[in-house]
Amino acid sequence: MKCQVCNEKEATYFYEETVNGKSRAFHLCRDCAQRLQAEGKLSLKLPEESQPTFPDLFGDLFGLTRPRGTKPQQGKSCPDCGATWREIAAGGKLLCPTCYETFRESLSGSIRSIHGNVSHVGRTPRAFSAEAERKNKKASLKEALTAAIAAENFEEAARLRDELRALDNQ
Amino acid sequence: MAWYQVKGNETDVVISSRVRLARNLQGYPFEERLTAEAATEIIEKIEKALGADFKRTDMADVTPLMAESMVEKHFISRDFAKTKSPHALFTNENRSLYLMALEEDHVRLQCILPGLALRDAYQFAVEADERLDAALPLAFDEQLGYLTHCPTNLGTGLRASVMLFLPALTERGYMPSLTHQLTKLGLTIRGLYGEGSGTRGSLYQISNQVTLGLSEEDILTKLEETVNTIIEKERKARVLSGEAAAIREDRIHRAEGVLRYATRISSAEFFTLFESLKLGVALGLIDSIKAETLHTLLFHVLPATLTLSEGGAPEDGAARDAARAAYIKRVLEDKKL
Repeated sequence: MKCQVCNEKEATYFYEETVNGKSRAFHLCRDCAQRLQAEGKLSLKLPEESQPTFPDLFGDLFGLTRPRGTKPQQGKSCPDCGATWREIAAGGKLLCPTCYETFRESLSGSIRSIHGNVSHVGRTPRAFSAEAERKNKKASLKEALTAAIAAENFEEAARLRDELRALDNQ
Repeated sequence: MAWYQVKGNETDVVISSRVRLARNLQGYPFEERLTAEAATEIIEKIEKALGADFKRTDMADVTPLMAESMVEKHFISRDFAKTKSPHALFTNENRSLYLMALEEDHVRLQCILPGLALRDAYQFAVEADERLDAALPLAFDEQLGYLTHCPTNLGTGLRASVMLFLPALTERGYMPSLTHQLTKLGLTIRGLYGEGSGTRGSLYQISNQVTLGLSEEDILTKLEETVNTIIEKERKARVLSGEAAAIREDRIHRAEGVLRYATRISSAEFFTLFESLKLGVALGLIDSIKAETLHTLLFHVLPATLTLSEGGAPEDGAARDAARAAYIKRVLEDKKL
């Protein structure tokens, strides 16, 4: 593939970024990548000769080679797998699912730069959708309970209270 | 039958549709930290969760050549073929499902169907996903969605892709601007074959880039709408008249002639001829060859698969080119698929 900027030389760099949910990506030759980098149009760490490796790009995103937004949670390690932030940042990948919880704060900047400032929508495992449903139901029961008490409808309030208790004991 | 041997929709432009879901089991680390015992345990849990209609293949029992052939047919990824620790493939050919246990994620579940069939592919994948969900605790976070080894797959863990045949848009030089526009839409496009100097056979793959913050429905709709627009553009770009049409028709029939009668065909030459032949079939200039036959050719003449079916050593160039030509001839004469 030819470089998308000069359209002459062979593209050896693939640059991609997502800022505020907007993504852009280019195939670039080394010269154009260097020039755009020098002009401050790309935030890319160019290694000496070869194509940037995954840890180069993501190490960057994770704030290992360049401070970016949040500070790494130094000294912490994952209770499940023992991973440290340094290990994760060096490889660009998490070492167990619990790492996401452990390093949530340090990761937020890099996840935002990949996907934008967003939360998950879509499919949810059964266990989680059941829990979410329970929470929603609890919230609406509490609301109804407050309303019933305010209206001095104590019979209804007692019924709602029992229903809430049953939900808590589930 | 493999996915490419089945009839599909819009196959004049679309070769295949693929949906991939990344899932992980809560309580187990990712590959760097995973012991062989834990890996075996995961594989067994997945086997139980999927049920009897999935066939298990332990990759330790698969030769490198067979694994490479599976890569060529898009059943598994190249990384999966190379993995050393315990890993297994679960297949359900009726549903066109291929589940890689212990690729980068604990589960990479993919469905691949011929032609434009993203919804069906997604539905089949979801059926298998539901079996996993019912039996196993999947790693999930309310804010981040399905938790994956690499943060680029967080959220839905869904990568939907469509393999397209775009000879007219390629020839007219539209691909760079198309690439640019797709990027703006959060989609990526890449050539499927060939390196450096360009793609071979005008075959491309378009897929979604972002997996978090968009629902599966949003991702599929956006990709489907974009693909439909590209199909329309490609079909329009194929319309030629007069001398240009005559030159193209001549090229197509010459390609058919070489594919039917040559005795040595290299991989590079095959892609050039395939492009013409496929276009000829798409335009109705050649009516004796079905799209499925062409797609079978495409996936069966690649080095590992060809060596498996025809014998010989994959590194022997001349012998392989002869085997390729003989195989193509047989398929086009409809003697062996």
